Amino acid sequence: MSDVLKKISEPTLRVVGYVVLVVMCMYILTPLLWLLLTAFDPEGGPYLKLPKSITLDNFVMLFIGKPIKGRAGAAHPFYMNVWLKNSFFIASVVLVIIIITASMAAYALSRLDFTGKSLLMTFILLIGFMPSMAKILPLFKLCLMFGFIDNLFGVAVVIASSLLPTQIWILKGFFDSIPRELEEQAWVCGCGYLSTLMRVVLPVAGPGIAVIALLSFLGAWGSFTIPLILIRSEDLYPVSLGIASVFIHNPGEIGLAVDYGPLCALSIVYALPSLAIYYLTRKYLMQIKVGKMEVR
Amino acid sequence: MSLLRYLKRYSSEIILASFLVPALVLLLIFQLIPTIWTIWFSFTDMALIGKKLIHPSFIGLKNYVDMLNDSIFWQSMKVTFEYCLASLVLRFILGLLAALYLTSKMFRGKTILAAIFLLPYIIPGAIHPYVWISMLDTRYGTLNRILLFFGLTPQSWVYKRAMESVVMINSWAGYALAMLILSSAITSIPKEFYEVADIYGASRWQKFSKITLPLIKYPVILSLVLIFKEDIDDFTYVYMFTEGGPHYRTELLSLYAYHKAFAYFELGYGCAVGVIIAIIVFVLTLAQLKLGGV
Repeated sequence: MSDVLKKISEPTLRVVGYVVLVVMCMYILTPLLWLLLTAFDPEGGPYLKLPKSITLDNFVMLFIGKPIKGRAGAAHPFYMNVWLKNSFFIASVVLVIIIITASMAAYALSRLDFTGKSLLMTFILLIGFMPSMAKILPLFKLCLMFGFIDNLFGVAVVIASSLLPTQIWILKGFFDSIPRELEEQAWVCGCGYLSTLMRVVLPVAGPGIAVIALLSFLGAWGSFTIPLILIRSEDLYPVSLGIASVFIHNPGEIGLAVDYGPLCALSIVYALPSLAIYYLTRKYLMQIKVGKMEVR
Repeated sequence: MSLLRYLKRYSSEIILASFLVPALVLLLIFQLIPTIWTIWFSFTDMALIGKKLIHPSFIGLKNYVDMLNDSIFWQSMKVTFEYCLASLVLRFILGLLAALYLTSKMFRGKTILAAIFLLPYIIPGAIHPYVWISMLDTRYGTLNRILLFFGLTPQSWVYKRAMESVVMINSWAGYALAMLILSSAITSIPKEFYEVADIYGASRWQKFSKITLPLIKYPVILSLVLIFKEDIDDFTYVYMFTEGGPHYRTELLSLYAYHKAFAYFELGYGCAVGVIIAIIVFVLTLAQLKLGGV
């Protein structure tokens, strides 16, 4: 009986699976199609249409900072390369801070047993849960005291602190699944805690580190609210603020007054490093290995 | 002397505990202190302009009492509940589906699939609103043209169906969080479990409900908590798309706090709304963690 059921259900399940998959892919990809087409379209607008001719002018315009001859629109200058450099600086500082602090903290939380540990874990989780909008003015006052206004390093530190709780939680889960015997052997061989962490635990926890590296890079690269409060001068803008300022410099609200071609080109260039980081870490994202795992 | 012996006895634990210090210092200075200040501000009549910014006076619970009689506050409470529930369900189900596609043996092309599934999450958030404007426009938007193609009635997405479109954008942008956590949890389940199940002739559904789901309980709860936190905190899409309108139908609590503080300059009141959001998050997160037995 169950064999018959299995025979019927297997192909049906497959067909249903593929139909759902196609619908999902359409939901994901259709909005992005417009971005891709408009970036290469010499006269792109806010609506999806096939370009009559394909051009790289939009990308060139970003980097030379002025409109190409014979092209209407693009009245505003782009400081694309400066914005990119700023975003890159912020994201890499955040990445380094998070990997160091989160892996140390998560390791300690995973291996130490003390009274109030679960309380501390909950505290770390909840501390990041205060809605960011409600923190803006106090944060601004605080950063004024530290000299973090118009300071890319300061912005990176603040962003890192806001991303930290989640990353600690994710990484602790990864560390929990690494058998302790591994480190005990390292201790027997005379390793201290720090060298155990660096030489034994971190290599084994590679997938976990890759996941938090990806998540924190994406969080920092795309962050908008914190730079919005802390950065005043235009040549320190990260790309996210830059894209927003393109709209502010244009007369009228979001709509037809914007030159969509360069904007889409800017967006695509902005997305590329994130895609590259994903490409480099994709191996670790989907697979975790290491002998026997204790799954919770 | 006894202190020294104590230090010696627990020296390794103390070294390990000191690993916590850098992270805790960062969290204390840039997360806890502003939070405490926000709570303090919520008890004052601080304003964004004028001399009330420098010299606010303590007014006790007046902001919170005002809130009880504020019909817009209750409206945005209702809206936030709808938004968070719809987003939570959509984002979790889409994420679980995607994770299953990526881990199941039945489907081909995992590398390409994973890349496609992660695209919206990888692309920086500042781009999302502009991408969706082209999608949801009433007259020339892609979605309405697709609807017309299939002979369905086009909708006025941004105005009449504001809530639906905002939820649609949010789940498009954010389902991959659950997918990442769940798929790495599913891959970490030992293969032997499924082999044993196959020997006993377990069906696909039995394997999913009896092996996969119980074993990924902890990641499931983690992803639910994270999704909920993101949804109640973030108002980018509402802000960019509808500004809370029409008639406060998409005025989320976080957007209301922002409007009160930066549009009406009632900073104290805005902070009070922020504190209410924090309390909701606090209670619901604790409940979720308790239910999961974490």
